Amino acid sequence: MGPNTQVEGMTATASSKTVDALMTVRGIGKVFGDQQVLADVSFEVTSGKILGLIGPNGAGKTTLLECIAGLLPADAGEVRWRGSSMPPARRKERLFYMPEAILPYPDQRTAEVLTFFQRAHRQPPSRLEQLVCILGLEPALTKLVGVLSKGYRRRFLLALGLLAPRPVLLMDEPFDGFDLRQTREVMNLLREEAADGRTLVLSIHQLADAQRICDRLVLLSGGRVRGAGTLTELTAAAGLPIGADVEEVFLALA
Amino acid sequence: MRWLEPPAPAIPLLRKELCELATGNSLWVLTLVLSPLVGYSFIQAVALYTEASRPALSIPELARQLSPFDGILVPTLGGFYLAITLLFPFIAIRLIASEKASGALKLLVQLPYRLIDFVAAKFAALVAAWLIALIPVLSALIWWGLIGGHLDTRETATLMLGHLLYALLIGAISFLAAALTEGGATAAILALSVTLGSWVLDFAALDRGGVSSLLAALSLTSLLRPFEQGLLSVSTVLAMLTATVGFLALTAVWLPPGVSLARRVRGSALIVVAAAIVITGAMQAKAVLDVTPDRRNSLSTGDEKLLGRLPERLLVTVHMASSDTRLIDLDRKVLARLKRAMPRVTIRVAEPGQASVFGATGDENYGEIVLTYHGKSATTRSTGAGEILPILYELAEVGGPELDASESDQPGYPLVADASIAAIWFYGLQPLAFAAAWWLAKRRTLWRRP
Repeated sequence: MGPNTQVEGMTATASSKTVDALMTVRGIGKVFGDQQVLADVSFEVTSGKILGLIGPNGAGKTTLLECIAGLLPADAGEVRWRGSSMPPARRKERLFYMPEAILPYPDQRTAEVLTFFQRAHRQPPSRLEQLVCILGLEPALTKLVGVLSKGYRRRFLLALGLLAPRPVLLMDEPFDGFDLRQTREVMNLLREEAADGRTLVLSIHQLADAQRICDRLVLLSGGRVRGAGTLTELTAAAGLPIGADVEEVFLALA
Repeated sequence: MRWLEPPAPAIPLLRKELCELATGNSLWVLTLVLSPLVGYSFIQAVALYTEASRPALSIPELARQLSPFDGILVPTLGGFYLAITLLFPFIAIRLIASEKASGALKLLVQLPYRLIDFVAAKFAALVAAWLIALIPVLSALIWWGLIGGHLDTRETATLMLGHLLYALLIGAISFLAAALTEGGATAAILALSVTLGSWVLDFAALDRGGVSSLLAALSLTSLLRPFEQGLLSVSTVLAMLTATVGFLALTAVWLPPGVSLARRVRGSALIVVAAAIVITGAMQAKAVLDVTPDRRNSLSTGDEKLLGRLPERLLVTVHMASSDTRLIDLDRKVLARLKRAMPRVTIRVAEPGQASVFGATGDENYGEIVLTYHGKSATTRSTGAGEILPILYELAEVGGPELDASESDQPGYPLVADASIAAIWFYGLQPLAFAAAWWLAKRRTLWRRP
């Protein structure tokens, strides 16, 4: 089955779930120079679920997340919230995007930056204490952000993202930099967030990680959606036997 | 879980900006440079003032010419002006460029603040930076007081206001440069090209008239001049404030990511047009307050009252080259004062084809000043108010004003003093104090910990 057929299948699936969709991404396109980075990207995000945006490096995942968050102007398309258009300037009311390759305020102490975000979001100090405890950030609190190890840096960014009381969190490669045990802990934390009603859109290039945590997947390759749905739906769409893992599904659809 | 957030409180944002300011190096480098620079300017100014004061102690006429404002305050702030022009942009640029470079800006713009909140908080931090940078100047003024010097409050406040407005304008330009460019280095080049370009414009205007004179009027340096003369010009203050607000608004347009180029250009065009309209309107304001205690920038009160009642338009045609020092003298001592005193004055400078170092270039009218009032004209070559005003009164067929003896009764402020001991403070103790503050700022912060 070719990509076009898959996109049509995805659209049909999505249409049947329009009523349940919390957020709808419709026809997003982005061109850098003469390169089409995103083309007619459409999918839906269901409330309280974890959606995995998967694809190889260069597939356009980060660009897509930035377009959805309103941090990069899209050349085409729109984002809708419960069926109503959500212009870029208003997206920060509902969404919070945590980029991957950033190092905010490297000259400040970790605790100070966390406190700033906690106070800016008007969150109680107990919320920050809870996140610091769950993410094991205590040893990093007095250190400058700029000298944190990669693991602590990722936990720090995760804490900044989770401090934002927005219904949808967009996270770029949230498991990058974690070892197996840490990844499992972070996954548990994200599942708890989803169970609490938060919707997560995670960009993940490790397909195994995506399979373990995501309720639904959007397969992105070459800036186009190659398939969207649960793993079972994607497996069926790819014509693979039930029980095929996400790598096989991805290779079949990409 | 509650999703819709209320607006974020301002204090954490302001605290964050102040913390960024304090932990950065540029502010402390500025203070370390400023301390000896201002100190040297001050000590030299006191030495020169002392030399000028020695004969004035016994000759009252000479004493009346001695003003601490011109002799001490303006030269001391000369070093401050230099450092603010060259180094203040780096402080402003860092407040924005560091967040762009580290990616923090992407998080910041998602917080429940308005764009104007971000820019306002950074601007507040910039004001704080200026106040810290002012410490060497304030310490010089304290030294001046300690050695027995006199300062007039209104003159001093006016000059400080001018320097504050100048620094904030430089800061706002630097903000925009940082918002427009990707890196701090490029932003610095852009901002410095504006500030240093102003100097070039100013120097160019010294030797040429015409267009370069008009351009020089737009230079940042020229904006400070009225304040340095003890003049509080409403139009200059309004123009500087409007330009600063305009640059801040442009910063708010260009700072956030995710905005299309077309939208940014539309927003910028609106701001530029609005600022141009307001500045053009502000320039029409004629109100200029001479805050000097001896009103040395103004004609006598009697002359001003009389001139203010002359209903017709006065046309003054000056046959001199723009670079002629006599014209500069005439403008400052007579023409500018006439423009402030009379409701309707038109000045025309009829420049010769080419001015030489000797002034005249074969033009037999060169050097003439022609006054035309009520259809009658008179010509003079004198550039002094004492000669020009009687001619004008004759043309207007009014008698001259009565002399007010109290106006020429200013005693002057000669002072023979030695400020060399202040070198210990400016070159040693004060830089050490700034270095200690720098060290402490790196160790402690204003942010609260969880």
